[in-house]
Amino acid sequence: MWKILNKKKKYDDVSYLEGFPIYFILGLWAFICLFPIYWVFITSFKEAYVVNDGPFYIPFVDFQPSLHAWEFVLMQESVNTLRPFYNTIIISIISALITVFIGSMAGYALVRISYRPKIASIFFFLLLLALSVYLVAKLKLDWRIVVVSSLSVFVLFILTLSRKFKSSLGNNDIGFWMISQRILPPVVVVIPIYIFFQQLGMLDTYPAMIITYVAINIPIVVWLMRDFFYNIPIDLEENAALDGASRFRIFTTIVLPLSKPGLSATFMLVLILCWNEYLLSLFISLTDTQTLPLMIASMNTTRGPQWWYMSVIIIIMIIPVIMVALFLYRFIIKGLLVGAIKG
Amino acid sequence: MKSVKLFFSKTMILSLGIIFMLTPSIFAKKYDGVTVNILTMEAPQIKGPMVKRAPDFKKLTGANINVIGVPFSDIYPKMESDFATGTNSIDGAVFAPQWMVDFIEPGYFEDLTPRIKADSAIDWEDIGYFFRSFSSTYGGKVYTIPLDGDFHMIYYRTDLLDAAGIAPPTTWEEYTYIASRFHGQDMNGDGTPDYGSCISKKRNAQAYWMIHSIVGGFIQTKGTGQGVFFDTKTMKPLVNNAAFSRALDIYKETTKYAPADEINLDVGDTRGLWTAGRCALTLDWGDIGTLAIEKGSKVNGKTGASILPGSRLVLDRASGELVPCNAARCPYAINGVNHAPFAAFGGWSGAVNVSADAKVKDAAYDFFSFMAQAEQSNEDVTIGITGMNPYRVSQFESINNWTGAGFSKAAATNYLGAIKASLDSPNMILDLRVPKNQRYQQVVLDTEVHRFVSGEISKEEAMERIEEGWEEITEEMGRDEQLSAYRNTLGY
Amino acid sequence: MNPKISLEEKLDKQAPAVFIMPAVLIVLFFSIFPLIVSLFIALSRLKFIKGGVQLKFIGWLNFKKLLFGSQQYHFLGKFDQLTPVGFFLLGLFVLAMFFWLYRYIKSKKISFFGTIGRVVIALGLFFLVLITLINLTTPKGLPGTLVVTLIYVILGVMFQFLIGLGLALLCVKKIKGRSFFRLVFFIPMMITPVGIAYLFRMLTDMTKGPFSPIIMWFGYEEASWAVIPWGARIAVMIGDAWQWIPFMFIVLLAGLESLSTEQKEAAIMDGAGGWEIFRDITWPTLLPVSATIVLIRLIEAFKIIDLPNVMTNGGPGIATESLSLHSYFNWRTMDLSGSAAVGYLLMIVAVFVCLSFVNLLKNKVDLAQR
Repeated sequence: MWKILNKKKKYDDVSYLEGFPIYFILGLWAFICLFPIYWVFITSFKEAYVVNDGPFYIPFVDFQPSLHAWEFVLMQESVNTLRPFYNTIIISIISALITVFIGSMAGYALVRISYRPKIASIFFFLLLLALSVYLVAKLKLDWRIVVVSSLSVFVLFILTLSRKFKSSLGNNDIGFWMISQRILPPVVVVIPIYIFFQQLGMLDTYPAMIITYVAINIPIVVWLMRDFFYNIPIDLEENAALDGASRFRIFTTIVLPLSKPGLSATFMLVLILCWNEYLLSLFISLTDTQTLPLMIASMNTTRGPQWWYMSVIIIIMIIPVIMVALFLYRFIIKGLLVGAIKG
Repeated sequence: MKSVKLFFSKTMILSLGIIFMLTPSIFAKKYDGVTVNILTMEAPQIKGPMVKRAPDFKKLTGANINVIGVPFSDIYPKMESDFATGTNSIDGAVFAPQWMVDFIEPGYFEDLTPRIKADSAIDWEDIGYFFRSFSSTYGGKVYTIPLDGDFHMIYYRTDLLDAAGIAPPTTWEEYTYIASRFHGQDMNGDGTPDYGSCISKKRNAQAYWMIHSIVGGFIQTKGTGQGVFFDTKTMKPLVNNAAFSRALDIYKETTKYAPADEINLDVGDTRGLWTAGRCALTLDWGDIGTLAIEKGSKVNGKTGASILPGSRLVLDRASGELVPCNAARCPYAINGVNHAPFAAFGGWSGAVNVSADAKVKDAAYDFFSFMAQAEQSNEDVTIGITGMNPYRVSQFESINNWTGAGFSKAAATNYLGAIKASLDSPNMILDLRVPKNQRYQQVVLDTEVHRFVSGEISKEEAMERIEEGWEEITEEMGRDEQLSAYRNTLGY
Repeated sequence: MNPKISLEEKLDKQAPAVFIMPAVLIVLFFSIFPLIVSLFIALSRLKFIKGGVQLKFIGWLNFKKLLFGSQQYHFLGKFDQLTPVGFFLLGLFVLAMFFWLYRYIKSKKISFFGTIGRVVIALGLFFLVLITLINLTTPKGLPGTLVVTLIYVILGVMFQFLIGLGLALLCVKKIKGRSFFRLVFFIPMMITPVGIAYLFRMLTDMTKGPFSPIIMWFGYEEASWAVIPWGARIAVMIGDAWQWIPFMFIVLLAGLESLSTEQKEAAIMDGAGGWEIFRDITWPTLLPVSATIVLIRLIEAFKIIDLPNVMTNGGPGIATESLSLHSYFNWRTMDLSGSAAVGYLLMIVAVFVCLSFVNLLKNKVDLAQR
């Protein structure tokens, strides 16, 4: 009896005996994942007093659903939802595409090419930067002049003195520096970035938002793609190099197609991070580039959180992301299977 | 003959031509082609009525009113960074006048006094004395136009109190007594026990106003100019004394008769509890009155409002002790009880950016005036969702607007009566408006009071820390500057 | 005669620079520049005056206030005498550190910078452990934002990793409906953090939330998680776990899928049991990718702000206030210099913890990658 229950064809198959607890646990976790979403969904159909009166679970049975929240968020003139929605889509997708492209190039480079930036150069660069900021802030020099002169001094240094210094860092250090850029909380960088864009007259523009999002997300892309590229066997690339292909061609024709699952997963992650970003968007945007997370926070008014409106916006925010996930999912799965068979 | 006819017809044609040319400019609107960017809270409240009336204003004047909304807690940083960095993309702002000193001192706001003098439509005298003389002014000049009147009142369940034959509380001792009396009873007929008192105590929400609603009656007796936060001669904080100690005791005691997670409830939650019929008493702004008559409310017709409870014992500022009220100490006492209604937050008001174009400034001012004029605002204040509460005398006098909005005659009379009593009081408390008031109230006061009420620190320690924290900010900003600013806001 | 070098080859020579420079330049500018400006702000007092901003250099005062002055209770917490249990735990930790340093000195690859680095790490970790023990195990000690953040980071990420790993191990087996589960588990990650914060606030409401009938049935109606410090912290951690376990799950699953079953079958042939297979085959493959995502999660966890902000506004008292939230509260009242100071301290602590993590694991990861 036991043998039948425990029978399985291959190692990773599941016997009947193992099946029950596994399904139970997975089912429980699926419920945990889905129940809050269900709750948000039905709350978007509740009237104010229904929310305040206590928990009601099933529409039509427990409470009368109403469309007032949906109508308010989508139709009412005073609440302009369509524009932020549109902005969020455009900004997130473009940022994610650019970030993944630039980031994977850098990730690939870190795996295949050996860099040795000299510590002295880095030190000198930081010194120059601090000096420039001091000159502009305290002595009120024109920042354009300061930037140009510092850059020239730095280039001069690189070309002449830097040869004297030997000790340098390696790829791992560059990698660690990249990911450590994520550590500083957005609150601290907001005002400098705001002033920077304001000086350039770029506040409330798409390019400003996009380049900011690209900048804060590149580190994650570099780190994740580095791992994915590491797992691609180097023989393929070496063969192609022997045949005379340039690095760039190797990258685009061999490496990228092989890393579709990694690229898709990373794109998904960056898209989500841009989609959901709040603080920088609050500062850089005024009217033209407002994004959806701002709208959620806005629903917490001096009257208290308006749960019903908030739920509508949350649902509106989730649906497109789920659709993109479903679309990309096939790439992620297909690629993974290919990798498994090869390995 | 022919030449005369020719002459006349030429003149006719010429005149017609001139008239035709002039006509468009006669019919041209005052602010054609002008766009005004106004920043305010992103919410159905306050922003909603402005967006609703912007097209009407455009029909009248041709100005494009662009209302920009941001989350409430981000209005202040956004305004500050826009003005301070010289971006000036905001032409006007509707915000809490409590913050206005931080913008007036560096000179970002336009002085509106001459405009108001020249404005015949706004009927400035109709606006409540407190709002036009204190809330909108600084150093004697007017900088904001009130669009909303904010102050605290207490609300009680008329059905419960009438059945028990108890009058609404006039002192805080009576408040806690009534709360204890009804706590645990089922007040909305659903079988579960309900609460004697619901006061929002959540940190970083609105709780730091609640504590001053309680302590105000103990500290301010001689009128708005006396102030409740600092000593007007030395800038010493009025927090480490017998009055504040008593107020903290009351604040903590009301928690006993409240929901278990009261210290994590903000006004949204307590208002929800009120309209679900689960509280006997609550302390809040004017919104409860208009929320009570909304669809689905269980307390329609059962909500009564009253002026903030006061005290028979008041603070002697020299000794720091509590002394009984008498005619000299409490000139505005009602039946021996000193009331000090607290105009918490101050009421959403509009201000104009001094760096905007002249025409834009004119248009911005005219729009605020338009919104504040009786024809518009008297309607707006009767509708709950506008977030605007009454501040004009004419708004109390015509009860028809209110009954038309859904109040019963009795409820309207009671609600307006309480508002009028508060507005008429010469002892209304002006909210703290010195520079960096947010740090005094939100960072120091709010944190320490919350730590006290959650049991983390003792009452004595809380008062000491508040005093220490406030003194530190005063020293950092410059004692003399803060004192002069404080005196300016009180109208000295 | 040298053959003509084609344009493509010329470009190709520049490839190393071209590949990495865009990323480096962008990150350099957008991260280093604000960092330096913030350092200036943290070392001065910022005042808004007509026409701009006035920066008055005051040196260490902002930091002094946080470490020793009036805000010390806020940042470091309240102190008290260590109990015997506390001393015992501290002693254990000191022993472990000595052992680790000893092993390094005895190994062949000792170097000057390496030793200094490890001593610094040991001292720093000692300081953090000391503060944590003082705040948490003593009768009157109360945690400040530093220790609260460490709780969120260390306990939270550990919990998320273990559950994510468990789910991934279960899902890699060929059960029916695998794809469905995978998609469903992925969903929580997609909701914006602000949205999740409000969502969990709704869910945990004692009167209006969906669990209130259960709470009432258990008789806990009179209690509230929001007024008990640990209750509130656990609520925040649950919200954070709900959102980020999918991330662990997806990446670990991808890692597990790359393992072939043939290897495992061969091992079974050789007589290995389930646990041995996990230890010798599965875990070594997972180690590098686990290290990466745990590091990424550690860094992100240090910045946790939306959940404690919305659920409890940092309360009760300051029990759920993370360092990032502390910085945000300061910033909201336009105390920009105080905000920058807290932000910098956060960065120092986070860099330190992450560096320690990387160093402690470096050997194991290198071994696994062979």
